[in-house]
Amino acid sequence: MSEHNNEKLDVKEDEIHLLLDHSYDGIQELNHPLPSWWNATFYICCAFALGYFVYYQFMNGPSLNDEFKKDYKVVLAAKEEFRKANSVFNQEFYDKTVSKDGVNNGKVVYEINCMPCHMEGGRGDVGPNLTDNYWLLAKGTPPTIHKVVFGGSEENGMPAWGEILKPEEIYQVISYVMTFKNTFVVGGKEPQGEKVDE
Amino acid sequence: MSSQVESPPVGKRESFSYDDNIVKLFVIATLIWGVVALLLGVTIAFQLADWRVNLGLPWTTFGRLRPLHTNAAIFAFCGNAIFAGIYYSHQRLLKARLFNDVLSQIHFWGWQLIIVSAAITLPFGITTGKEYAELEWPIDIAITLIWVVFAVNFFGTIVRRRERHIYVAIWFYIATIITVAVLHIVNSLEIPVSFLKSYSLYAGVQDALVQWWYGHNAVAFFLTTPFLGLMYYFIPKAVNRPVYSYRLSIIHFWSLVFIYIWAGPHHLLYSTLPEWAQTLGMVFSVMLWMPSWGGMINGLMTLRGVWDKVRTEPSVRFMATALTFYGMATFEGPLLSIKSVNAIAHFTDWIPGHVHAGTIGWNYMLISGVLFYLVPKLWNSELYSKKLAHTQFWFATIGLILYIVSMWVAGITQSLMWSAMDDAGNLIYPNFIETVIKIVPMYWVRAIGGTFVLISFVIMIINLYKTAKAGKKTAEKIYEANALDDSSIEHNASAHRKLEGWPMIFAVLSLIAILVGSGIEIIPSLVADKYILKIEAIKPYTSLELYGRDVYIKEGCYLCHSQTVRPMSHEVVRYGKPSNAAEFVYDHPFQWGSKRTGPDLARVGGKYPNMWHYRHFLDPRQVTQGSIMPRYTWLFENKIDYSDLSKKLQVMKQLGVPYSDEEILNAVENAKGQAQGIADELVENGKVPEKIVQMDVVALIAYIQRLGVDYSAVEEEESDEAASVK
Repeated sequence: MSEHNNEKLDVKEDEIHLLLDHSYDGIQELNHPLPSWWNATFYICCAFALGYFVYYQFMNGPSLNDEFKKDYKVVLAAKEEFRKANSVFNQEFYDKTVSKDGVNNGKVVYEINCMPCHMEGGRGDVGPNLTDNYWLLAKGTPPTIHKVVFGGSEENGMPAWGEILKPEEIYQVISYVMTFKNTFVVGGKEPQGEKVDE
Repeated sequence: MSSQVESPPVGKRESFSYDDNIVKLFVIATLIWGVVALLLGVTIAFQLADWRVNLGLPWTTFGRLRPLHTNAAIFAFCGNAIFAGIYYSHQRLLKARLFNDVLSQIHFWGWQLIIVSAAITLPFGITTGKEYAELEWPIDIAITLIWVVFAVNFFGTIVRRRERHIYVAIWFYIATIITVAVLHIVNSLEIPVSFLKSYSLYAGVQDALVQWWYGHNAVAFFLTTPFLGLMYYFIPKAVNRPVYSYRLSIIHFWSLVFIYIWAGPHHLLYSTLPEWAQTLGMVFSVMLWMPSWGGMINGLMTLRGVWDKVRTEPSVRFMATALTFYGMATFEGPLLSIKSVNAIAHFTDWIPGHVHAGTIGWNYMLISGVLFYLVPKLWNSELYSKKLAHTQFWFATIGLILYIVSMWVAGITQSLMWSAMDDAGNLIYPNFIETVIKIVPMYWVRAIGGTFVLISFVIMIINLYKTAKAGKKTAEKIYEANALDDSSIEHNASAHRKLEGWPMIFAVLSLIAILVGSGIEIIPSLVADKYILKIEAIKPYTSLELYGRDVYIKEGCYLCHSQTVRPMSHEVVRYGKPSNAAEFVYDHPFQWGSKRTGPDLARVGGKYPNMWHYRHFLDPRQVTQGSIMPRYTWLFENKIDYSDLSKKLQVMKQLGVPYSDEEILNAVENAKGQAQGIADELVENGKVPEKIVQMDVVALIAYIQRLGVDYSAVEEEESDEAASVK
């Protein structure tokens, strides 16, 4: 019945005994046994599947949440230690940072991280204007700015930069921000928060 | 054929012809849609490499073109190829003309019409927001109808067959037709709001499970089983060799069909899907490895002794390569399903790399092989140029390898950067954008690889066109065979051999095989209300937020942003608390996403001020230097359409979202009030025009600012309790 194959089906000597007599549009089938490696691998996969399922579902194997909680506990402890060590403003370290080209380094940090919201020169846009004498969260001094930068303010959309920037980068960027103070740039954002007189 | 066993002479001789015109039509459609699908793929690949390729128009942005690419590749390109191959081989394997020529025509033109309506609706953002099932409800109904036409035509041909037993290719076709019908209907259940807008019947975890049961098995039963069927016909025909092992055919067919259907939840590992279902998804994927390889072995071993044809015959070369990539992808799949590997690979570019090893390596290569066999036969011609075919082969192979390797590198690099933490518990790459900028060079490599594949396809079109053009017209051939009578019943045959003589029972058994896994996984989730512990604090979206959510869906945000935080330390440090199933109970459809080209958004609400989002949607690079996200300027010009808003809440209520009658009645008023609040704040804060209150962007901001907010306020203990419910 085949319309195309005028040649004889290509069957090798050593397999002719495996040829079945079915024929579909000229297609015939050999009946080789299942390859033993195929069979074995299939059984191994099934055994693994069964064992895995039984262990995790019926034999109190740890759930993904259990594993996460165990891991996260360690992370939280480390974070807490880090916070304790770095969340309090260190005047001595700040002075040292400023003297070691802190302002120039801080400018780089500022441009990458802060500028999207506080804009060039601190004139403000999404975030408040840093060049006037009104302050929303900080009070215009390095320790108060440090607190806001390190811990952030969820309510105001200020990220907790303590988790993102290195401790010295925070000091650098503060020293840079301090250069904006009371420059009252033209075209800056309207004042926000309370006026701070010094 | 000397080896053919002729039926005894007692039977009644009948003469008949085959309908090859319908096959030709499907071949032509395959080539046209293939080029469209690849062109779209290359376009969106370049969009990821350089955001400016989004062209600044709504209908050309990534979020709208990506669904068009996937739908075109799967349902238009592969779909038409499947129909061509099935209709050609089915008739010959059964010695019968297709059941009804009119049905064949309806099938063909109906399918093309569906594709055209997809190509029109998707760029306009008309989408259900469910991956690979984005088409809206009227098109879903059309797909169902045309599929039924196909099924009637297919089974009708079986009824009129002159060959008692059905060959293994037809087993795979049967499994395809039945399963695709079940998948499509169950996953597409939705309630219409208007002619082109509906909400999924399912919500949250439930929706996610149904969707990935569908999504995974679209791969299984649209891109795998029909292609295995084609492979079983066209490889032995092309090399004139007997198939390696009938026994292997039986074992791998049934194990593949039975096991495949369970594997869907491996798309939801580490999600809030109950863990037993996740584990089932993983272990069934591992068990699937050998059944998949059974097909590869049977195909490749059929080439025993004729391997020289891989060098000389384009058709054989493409099909053998297809099987090799199939083997690779079906090894990679189970590997990716193992939880600890998935933890690294999920949400990264490794996954599109894996998918394309399948779609380009297996589907496109096999289609090419089939076409090189079919076109000369159908148009009564000789292949125009073997040299061109080999050039096509190298373009396709090199392009694909560039694609796969660049996505491995991108995926693993980005994943390692996401998870890198220092001893203080801080992320080493806390800015998501750093991890994006790092892999943009790989996006270029991928786009170039894709271009190679596109070029290869164009070469094939030229080759096949020239082939067809040189064809000589011939009269329709008339064949003769004995009518089916009792003489062909084999009384002493094995049980399976007998079953092959009862195609309808075979179909029923296939249906049962796929319903077992489907039922065990899905039915418990349909009563999910009982095991998802409700959290009182989690409230439905306001009307404006719901509208904003529809904007989110319309723009295809879910294609680049996930909304689910996995229980992993680095994710919790980066995004916030792990997600909880109770958070999603009002999400029709769920929007967890499957890829993080951008960061997760499950906890983004309140993270940035409204003004940040305003700037970001206008031009992402204003607030995130190096961002590859497109601009969404039209959101600042398109007015909020309040006309359907009450209806939307009403439909949501029908779906079980507890909106009060008052909320439904006052939907528009409430939305306007909330929009005014956001607009006032924006106007106060910056140089924002007052008319912004009327624009889509305000609704989208309202939605984004709501994400994760309710749950973040929930006390630790309550959320723990809810999360521990299995």
